[in-house]
Amino acid sequence: MISYVRAENIKLTFRPKNRDPVTALDGFTFEAWRGEFLSLVGPSGCGKSTFLNVLLGLIKPDSGMLELDGQKITGPGLERAMVFQEFGLLPWRTVLANVELGLELKGIPASARRERSSELINLVGLTKFENHYPHELSGGMKQRVGLARALATDPDVLLMDEPFAALDAQTRDIMQMELLQIWDRTKKTVLFVTHSIEEAAYLSDRVIVMTARPGKTKSVIKIDLPRPRDYEMRLTSKFNGIKLKIWNALKEELVYRENLRES
Amino acid sequence: MVKLNEVYQSYQRFVLGTASVIGFILLWQLLLTYIIPFNSFFITKPSLIAVAAKDLVSSGKLWHDLAVSSKAFVWGFTAAVLIGIPFGLVMGWRRRVEYALDPFLTALYASPLVALAPLLIVVFGVGLTGKAVLVFLLAVFPFIFNVFAGVKSTELLLINVVRSFGGKEKDLYFKVILPSTLPYIVAGARIAIGRGIVGIIVGEFYAASEGIGYSIALYGDTYRLPEMFVGIMLLMILAVLLTSGMRKLELTLAPWKVGQEGR
Repeated sequence: MISYVRAENIKLTFRPKNRDPVTALDGFTFEAWRGEFLSLVGPSGCGKSTFLNVLLGLIKPDSGMLELDGQKITGPGLERAMVFQEFGLLPWRTVLANVELGLELKGIPASARRERSSELINLVGLTKFENHYPHELSGGMKQRVGLARALATDPDVLLMDEPFAALDAQTRDIMQMELLQIWDRTKKTVLFVTHSIEEAAYLSDRVIVMTARPGKTKSVIKIDLPRPRDYEMRLTSKFNGIKLKIWNALKEELVYRENLRES
Repeated sequence: MVKLNEVYQSYQRFVLGTASVIGFILLWQLLLTYIIPFNSFFITKPSLIAVAAKDLVSSGKLWHDLAVSSKAFVWGFTAAVLIGIPFGLVMGWRRRVEYALDPFLTALYASPLVALAPLLIVVFGVGLTGKAVLVFLLAVFPFIFNVFAGVKSTELLLINVVRSFGGKEKDLYFKVILPSTLPYIVAGARIAIGRGIVGIIVGEFYAASEGIGYSIALYGDTYRLPEMFVGIMLLMILAVLLTSGMRKLELTLAPWKVGQEGR
């Protein structure tokens, strides 16, 4: 298979004022196939969210190569869109206007913008709330808006930075199921960052486990579960076996981090 | 009876506020009528103020003064809005501009600019321009500093959202920074109104031939205290109306802030 999103030897060091520099990523290499659901799991601070921001084009790496479909990534672009952990909705805009944001910046005329946004709002089940403001919505609804907004510009790659971490457990389960349905319908390539082994195992085709900071790929685990997936699958021993595999890869990194803290 | 009590509960603020104002006026009137020996050179009482107000209104003098003073206020205040807001925006967003301008602005904001009144009158002459410039100088700094603070408090996440969709510098200003700063602008306007009124009055005290400030000074010099109090009270009423208007504006412009507070 030919890789679709490719990162090679990414190095990125943050140099905050008056503090020691922190190397977030060092020699990070990664590839994703077209249409794949790929998750990144790793200890906190391993640079997985940072990597998404690099892919999004908001942060420039010090060195390394980034490619999407054979094209070098140099900055933000409409073939990539992010769903943010803290939603990132503009509070002064209605649901509809928030979903329109990307289209507006792309220069799409108002009527086409509206039509396309309504379509996506319908896709995430918020039609009745088109004219509501974000502060009138629950967390789950806000993230639906975030998802609709990211899909509105019809990107090829959807970047999701712990999108459900701020939600309660039940909302989270529902959002995961809906995300899978939407993914199935839209055939996007999804790069999904999460802390949750369960979430990664349930959603993904492959899971990349990252090392502690500076982050690089520790192991790649293929999730051999049939699709469409359902909640019951999460209760099988096969699923638990997969979780154990991810955990085993991750645990050394967590232990390593704990030791660091004590020394 | 229960009903009446409920009505009272919901209007408690209004009822008590009004009652205390009326009580104050009555007390003032009664004290000067029955207890304190009345000397019209030093003090006056509400009944005389009311008579003076009626005369000034029916002769048209009050409206004329109001029109003269308002004109200078509106010019100076408009200039403060048009110059203060862009300045604050750029200062808040561009660090180098901030560092370069900060010493001047801080010094000017902190100093009693009414001290410049004589100079301004010398340069711009007695009349509209001098007063308008004084109003501008006093009113512009609350705008600059509030907008500055507003820009600084703009969520970086929202900036990143707009950037990730390919937003340019202009989009950041108009789609994120300015709307998120709006509540700060209104708060700045509240302070600026008070300072602007001071500017008008001082300008007219110092050198003028008409206007509310001029009339207050003139009536003071000629011991016509009831007329003087009419001017003072007109200013009070204006200041209260304008400031509470701003508060209403704040609620309309930033409903999401209200939502957050209500939570």
